[in-house]
Amino acid sequence: MFGRYERDFEYSDADVKLRIDRSGTIPVYTRDCNGAHVEKYLTGDYNAINICPVEPVNLPEEITHHLEIAFPEIVLPPEVKQTIYLKFPVEIGVFFEIHREMGVLDILSLVPTRFSLYGRPDAGVITRWYRSDLYSCVPATDLHREGVLELALVNHCATTVEISRAVFDSHHMTIFYGERVGMTATMEVWSPVIAQTIFATTPPLGCPNRSIDLYTSRKFPVGPMKGYMMESGMT
Amino acid sequence: MIAEAMPNSTEIITTLTNETSLIGTASTREVVQFFVLLIIAYVIGLVIAHYLKLRLSHKLKSDQLVLLIRFVRVILILIVVSFSLPGLLDLSITILALVFVALVAIIGLSSQNVISNMIGGLAMLYESPFKSGDFINTGDVSGTVISTRLFSVLIRTTSGVYVQIPNAQIYSSDVSNYFAHVARRYEYVVGIRYQDDVKKATAIITRILEGYTYVLVQPAPEVFVNDIDADSVRVMFRVWFPSVWARTKDDISLQTAILPRVKAALEAEGIEMPYAHREILFTNPIVTQPGPGGK
Repeated sequence: MFGRYERDFEYSDADVKLRIDRSGTIPVYTRDCNGAHVEKYLTGDYNAINICPVEPVNLPEEITHHLEIAFPEIVLPPEVKQTIYLKFPVEIGVFFEIHREMGVLDILSLVPTRFSLYGRPDAGVITRWYRSDLYSCVPATDLHREGVLELALVNHCATTVEISRAVFDSHHMTIFYGERVGMTATMEVWSPVIAQTIFATTPPLGCPNRSIDLYTSRKFPVGPMKGYMMESGMT
Repeated sequence: MIAEAMPNSTEIITTLTNETSLIGTASTREVVQFFVLLIIAYVIGLVIAHYLKLRLSHKLKSDQLVLLIRFVRVILILIVVSFSLPGLLDLSITILALVFVALVAIIGLSSQNVISNMIGGLAMLYESPFKSGDFINTGDVSGTVISTRLFSVLIRTTSGVYVQIPNAQIYSSDVSNYFAHVARRYEYVVGIRYQDDVKKATAIITRILEGYTYVLVQPAPEVFVNDIDADSVRVMFRVWFPSVWARTKDDISLQTAILPRVKAALEAEGIEMPYAHREILFTNPIVTQPGPGGK
């Protein structure tokens, strides 16, 4: 499904059906997915349609821009670096291209959405929540549903820490796709309750294509890659 | 008399012709200097406004920022006027201060409400109990804050009514802000029959809650027997939602999202919500008399 399509476009599988109908005077984009039918009219002079995974924090509406992945608890001794693999939910962005300008046409997902609270109600953040198993190597995934996050855990503190969740800021996400959808990130543990998650801009193995940055295409300024500081614990 | 007065008049005219001052004893140069200072204060105000916009636009709502900028610019102009005007009008600072105090006293006495509203507005700007766009409840009014102004707060109620509340009133009353925190808890109660399995009912309700998108995973929903009343066993469930989604105090989504699903799921599993009923026991047997026609 992912890729760039010149004007005419149709995709269909067991879960989703996307199409641009050009039989009428105005092209119509249609999507049938999860029992819902969406129809949008396009201006005639678009150049292409781009489909790629986007930051998984947009559906069913913009509630948050943080992604939280919960996983089985891992114990990390002091001064140890350990790479683990987690799955994250995939949201699919459909973009239209007009004279080198990119616009969001549709965003869909085949994975149910859940939200959670990281921290206290008065000082925490709402997160898009996802439960993943913990893997020591790249797990097999359905690339339309789940991506693989390569997460390097680095314990800088002098005590053993327990980690069972990681929170990320979608403004700093860099998603790649190819034979699967992937991201690479580091979680630097500074104390038993404080850690920082930072995304890398290098593509993971088997994911050579970089996704369109949804927030850039929406003209939001994106700051330097500072990552997200988890200050409310890691379990 | 006219002849005597003539020389004086000539002197006066001569004096006026040669006079370089425009106001009192102030010279043209001083007047120009005063206006230049005013322009400089205005420009400094613009620069400070630009700086405040850059620094605070992500922290304050636009109406609060506008209020703060106006306040800073007015203060700047007042500083220039209060330091330059006495020299220009050849007044001493003491006299000007006395005039200022007298003016403040007169204005303060005649418009206490206006002053208290302004002070209330500045206090709210400092304390920020709510921002425009927040849903608040104060006194008898519930609604979304449209803007915070120098003297009043504008609110749009859920029924679309425009309400203006003086700052002094809102500052001295209890204010509940439903958007201040990122998550908010809501409570529901359903009654089930005595003969129904409570564990099964709580398991069904928990399953429904865990399957609903906007019910937060953490803090986890709580489902428990709250009360056993005359007609039913009361099962309460507490659920946390994102405040942004639960848009108002009693948004209809809060009701329609959960209760119909819970009712349908409980009924599908044979658990019913009973009507209120009374069981009347007669200690003596009831003797029935045949009616007309032996019926």
